[in-house]
Amino acid sequence: MGKQLFRYSEANKEKFLESDNITFNDGSTVSPEEIWHYLTEEAPAKYPSAFEVNLYQGNRGSRDETLPTSLKTRYLGLTFSARMEKAKDNGKSIAFIQGGQAVDPYTAADTIALRPGLVNQWNNGLEYGNDINKENLRRKKSKEKAFHDMSFEACQTGGYEHVQAGDLRIDVIAPYTVLRCSDISYGVEAHRHGPNKNVKLLNVDYPLRFQADKPWAIEYFAKNLRRLVNTLDEVTGRKTSENDLLKAIKLHNTGRRLGTELAELWWSADVPPTNSDDRASMVSLGNLEVHGDVQASLSVLKEAKKFIAERVKNGVKGHAVADNPKRLFILGSCVGINGSRSEDAGAIVVGRDDQWSHCSSLVEEVGDPFYNLAKATLEYPYEQSIEKRAQWTIEQIKKSRADGVIFIHNWGCNTQAAISRPIVDIIKRETGIPTYIHERDLHGLRDEQEQNRVNAFVEML
Amino acid sequence: MSVKTLDVIRKRLEERPDELRRARENGLKVVGWVGYNVPEEIIHALGFIPVRIAIGGDDRLVEIGARYASSKTCVFIREIVGAFAENQDPYIQQTDILAFDATCLQNYRAAEVIEYFFKKDVVVLAVPRNFHLDEAKEYFAHEANEFTRLLEERAGAPLDSARLAESVALYNDIRKTLKSIYTFQASKDNVISWEEVYDLIQAGDLLDKREYLSLLTQTLDELKERQHHPVIASDDGDCRIFLSGSLIPRGDRKLIGIIRSVGGRIVGDDLWSGILPHLDLDIKEISPAGVALGYLNRTPHAALPYLDLESDRRLKKLQERLSEFKAQGVIYHTLRYCDPFTFKAKETKNVLAKSGIPLLEIHTEYAGSDYEAMKTRVEAFVEMIKIKSEIAEEQGVLVDA
Ligand code: SF4
Ligand code: SF4
Repeated sequence: MGKQLFRYSEANKEKFLESDNITFNDGSTVSPEEIWHYLTEEAPAKYPSAFEVNLYQGNRGSRDETLPTSLKTRYLGLTFSARMEKAKDNGKSIAFIQGGQAVDPYTAADTIALRPGLVNQWNNGLEYGNDINKENLRRKKSKEKAFHDMSFEACQTGGYEHVQAGDLRIDVIAPYTVLRCSDISYGVEAHRHGPNKNVKLLNVDYPLRFQADKPWAIEYFAKNLRRLVNTLDEVTGRKTSENDLLKAIKLHNTGRRLGTELAELWWSADVPPTNSDDRASMVSLGNLEVHGDVQASLSVLKEAKKFIAERVKNGVKGHAVADNPKRLFILGSCVGINGSRSEDAGAIVVGRDDQWSHCSSLVEEVGDPFYNLAKATLEYPYEQSIEKRAQWTIEQIKKSRADGVIFIHNWGCNTQAAISRPIVDIIKRETGIPTYIHERDLHGLRDEQEQNRVNAFVEML
Repeated sequence: MSVKTLDVIRKRLEERPDELRRARENGLKVVGWVGYNVPEEIIHALGFIPVRIAIGGDDRLVEIGARYASSKTCVFIREIVGAFAENQDPYIQQTDILAFDATCLQNYRAAEVIEYFFKKDVVVLAVPRNFHLDEAKEYFAHEANEFTRLLEERAGAPLDSARLAESVALYNDIRKTLKSIYTFQASKDNVISWEEVYDLIQAGDLLDKREYLSLLTQTLDELKERQHHPVIASDDGDCRIFLSGSLIPRGDRKLIGIIRSVGGRIVGDDLWSGILPHLDLDIKEISPAGVALGYLNRTPHAALPYLDLESDRRLKKLQERLSEFKAQGVIYHTLRYCDPFTFKAKETKNVLAKSGIPLLEIHTEYAGSDYEAMKTRVEAFVEMIKIKSEIAEEQGVLVDA
């Protein structure tokens, strides 16, 4: 028996066709007409898993049919793999990076920067016709490869399973190392024993402990950024100038500003103007890296603000959001709760610290761009001491009017797990808001038990 | 085989916590340090009493530590956090200041968690990951100065260069003597075992440094008297094991005991709780930066990534030591959630396999529940090595014939 698939209703088509084109890095555009065709014809055949009506569907952003941004981010997500393949065919350079960092220097050096989740997305999209179960199985299998070569306790494997198996054409593994993650540097190092000798390796060394207050630490990180740009240039064969970096910083600051404004607009609404997943996918556009195409993200982001402003003004509530939902703020790296199932339980996710931390960190535009970028990066609130990070988080919790806080961490994520308790302790102490810590199971499947706990927490709220 | 000075050292260790308590009553301060690149000479030269906080083997403390630092932190750090929570360890009780380094992120997190929950006065030395690059060394020199400044504040006096030179000389003598003693344990007809030397090295984490040097010197004299020319070679039928991987601190003797119980003889290690940190420490300049760089330039700790396999100094050192100590196999000890070593187990095994050295990874924690399983695996490994060397011997005889 075939799986039940979600379909976009023709009733919303006309309105959608009035929205803007998406413009890409290479200057090409895609019209709403083409997007509609893709989402209703091509994509359901290629990626049935994304349309499957299934409790374990991680993201149902596509269900808010009257919000054009929802369809557009869906489009960008579903075409991601094909776009990366095309970029490679056209000689574009691609780098593997870390999740919690901005990508300004990569943009400056004309390199697509992909964090681990996006690398997986690229790989997932290479195979067509899978349902959710098959998709999960495939993911597990590819992770097994990495576990076998490294450690089953690894959370982050530096893309080893894809790059070394030759499945993905990544040119350089160059993340900001140890920023928020203990595993990443070991994952990068593991590539040295893999068969793919062509991939370049670099650790962009992010120093720790009160570094933003130390001029020598900023200098050191700035030198690391210069080394990064040189390494990226070795792949592309071009020469990235300070001015290129400044231009990239300005571009990314525009994204960060828009992302921040959008989040604040969303928070200002009496009723949530979108569901959890749409909120997350819109705000994350602010970092401009999420779809592997900076300009595409920017064009969707600019338009999104207009739609949200309209919804806030008219008091429109997001699709499938309960009346007076319990507002959850989620903490922790690389992982979140199942938005739609939490909405079914009467909650909504109103914010996360991950991604938001660097989206809200603007870079100074006057002076040495390497130094400025280094300084802003060392100031990421997420990377500060327990007390400082907690204080920043409390501000976000207050701004978002959250009723509850969940700190979630992946199995094997030592660095975040280790400080989960002190962080939630401070939050509880200073805000009185209920909190709980959850550990995502091994291999990252969203299981029933996890949802039961989230639901119980929501009920308690 | 008993070496008399070792009994004296054991007794002195029993007396040490009381001695520390009295020293503190007289106004001295104890700095407990945790990590892999803490330049101890600086602590010593500032007039503090340095004590290394490295304990293991107690599953109950691991359990307690998990309540503060999560169950996903390595067992070693969980035990340390648990010990701070419980505050029963006599050395932990005597610490006034804590010095951590950020070589391993989990160690760094321990500093944060202990500072937050137990309100300890913590000083952290940041450590660059790109440790081999010039800019990283320059950065580390600044960090060493900052680390010193923070300690000076607590000492209430600046670091005196002459005192630093004295401390460096003292520590250099300690390292030199330890290295000489170490050779004896691996020799044919040895009068001191690796286990005894290992305990001796760890005694240095706690004892007064001057006294420690004199006890080491006495030990060495005794050894020289009993064994004039130690030659590193096999005794008949011994199975020479080299121990590598995650540290094995005081309190944890599970694996070491198992190896011995199944007929293995440990003849060397590159553990950060063993001889490794005492090797190749060359301090070129008497200054905080000079001392710290001496530390950083040693064989790198596994938590510091290095991206070229061929020129990896950690693996080179391991191979060098294996050949020096005529080891026949490596038991690679990985602690639960100790990523720096666990991630490298398979790679290290493959590298050593090229030179015919077998490696057995033992992944464990401080609970006793895996004792039998570990024993079975180690026993099979030791047997395998013995059989291999018997076959090699027989083949050698045939070739000779
Ligand atoms: S979940 Fe933690 S360990 Fe895994 S990639 Fe993210 S930060 Fe790293
Ligand atoms: S090196 Fe291993 S045992 Fe040591 S602190 Fe780090 S994770 Fe723990």
